Amino acid sequence: MDGQLLSEAFVELTDTMVADFDIIDFLHVLTSRSVELLDVSAAGLLLADPRGELRVVAASSEAARLLELFQLQSDQGPCLDCFRSGHPVAAPDLASDQRWPKFAAVAGQAGFSAVQALPMRLRDQVIGALNLFRATPGAFDADSVHIGQALADVATIGLLHERNMRRSDTLNEQLQTALNSRVIIEQAKGKLAERLGIDVNQAFSLLRDQARNRNQRLSDLARAFVDGTQTISGPASGSARASRPGIRQPRPGPRPAS
Amino acid sequence: MSFYDGRRLARVWGLIAEQAAGRGGRVAAADVCAAVVPGVQVTGAWLSAALDAQAGHLMQVTDEVSRQLAELQLTLGEGPLFDASASGGPVLASDLANGESWARWPGFAPAASQAGAAAVFAFPLVVGAIRAGVLGLYRDRPGSLSDFQLGDALTFADTATMLLLDAQDQAGGATRPGGGPGGQPAGLAFYRAEIDQATGMLTEQLGVNITDAFVRLRAYAYVNDLQLADVARDIVARRLRLFPDPDLSLGDET
Repeated sequence: MDGQLLSEAFVELTDTMVADFDIIDFLHVLTSRSVELLDVSAAGLLLADPRGELRVVAASSEAARLLELFQLQSDQGPCLDCFRSGHPVAAPDLASDQRWPKFAAVAGQAGFSAVQALPMRLRDQVIGALNLFRATPGAFDADSVHIGQALADVATIGLLHERNMRRSDTLNEQLQTALNSRVIIEQAKGKLAERLGIDVNQAFSLLRDQARNRNQRLSDLARAFVDGTQTISGPASGSARASRPGIRQPRPGPRPAS
Repeated sequence: MSFYDGRRLARVWGLIAEQAAGRGGRVAAADVCAAVVPGVQVTGAWLSAALDAQAGHLMQVTDEVSRQLAELQLTLGEGPLFDASASGGPVLASDLANGESWARWPGFAPAASQAGAAAVFAFPLVVGAIRAGVLGLYRDRPGSLSDFQLGDALTFADTATMLLLDAQDQAGGATRPGGGPGGQPAGLAFYRAEIDQATGMLTEQLGVNITDAFVRLRAYAYVNDLQLADVARDIVARRLRLFPDPDLSLGDET
């Protein structure tokens, strides 16, 4: 494990936690750094909704297939088991794992062979889980698990930043606010993708870059864009732009409808 | 087995439907207000529909204290429902007499206590940037909602959101029965990112605001007898486009 990288990541994360920081952006940075630090292919954070669901709040990539794989675990998978037990759950070789057939099949299709889930804990309460995926089978070493757990702890702290952590009411308020912010961002991704003829993954990057350039919270920009009070233009280079918004297929390959 | 508890939805909708049956009408947002009181063991509830961005139009109260609480916030311009509306998350003030509540709402907290409320719980009726209103609950004794009650309260709030949006759909001229209990599932019970993305895409395709885009998305699924998530997936994959409503354009030509 590269200690330099690790300390840089924590410096970046704490730098993000300025007053009035955006929780979704913070958790997105956290999942991206998890991928680099732990040498995994993808990372995602799921929070427990009091209605009775695990919901994705942030992921290292916004690729639809990946988000779906995280979300699938509201039904079955390592995150759900981790959330229920409060303990880390590892599956070093999904191909031979019998515990979650539906999850293992979808993960396999997405190109993942190993998975690890780490609990987000607040005292005796589990509020969610950090999910790590690897393309190659094999156990996660103890160092990676420790650092992953530290990152999951940081995610919990970030969620409760600058609020009174003693009240469970506060935790529930923050959870619901974070989940609704995530919905606003999804709505903004869709609107921007349609306007510019790009895919939703590209739309997320663009939203995030523009929020940073404008020194604005990601969810504030997303809301203002959805409400129509702020506009967002395409990438400056124009490289990702399509000629006909809404007509172009998101990826090359499928034949045109005829 | 799902972590998601389908019985929660059935219990909540059962209580709401009971209210509607009791007054002999179609299920409406007002029924949520009446049903949530015994449902999560609070003393009273009130429901305001959103007027643009600010919650304002008081639709339903279950008792006199609730009416006073709603009016107090409008008069004072502060309170848990204002904060819930602004943050998009619930505000759970389980003890209005404590220092935290007084510091947060110097006008509202003492006035609400005076009116007879000891705890206030405010739930924004939102789907991302869509704001349908707010649901307020109060108790005459201090105390938090249990996790179980909170889950139920959020489910009542989801249902009220959908019923308010459906009512808006009907007011806009579309003809279809109300969703929610007995109809299309509230749509939020099992969360799908594609539904939110498709809603955002429809604002552009239809040239409408986010609320109308969501109403159109749900109406399309209902009319075509499709699952909301499947329609959303097709829109996001660009296999399906919706077009501005021709009836509405005709209406503009008068």
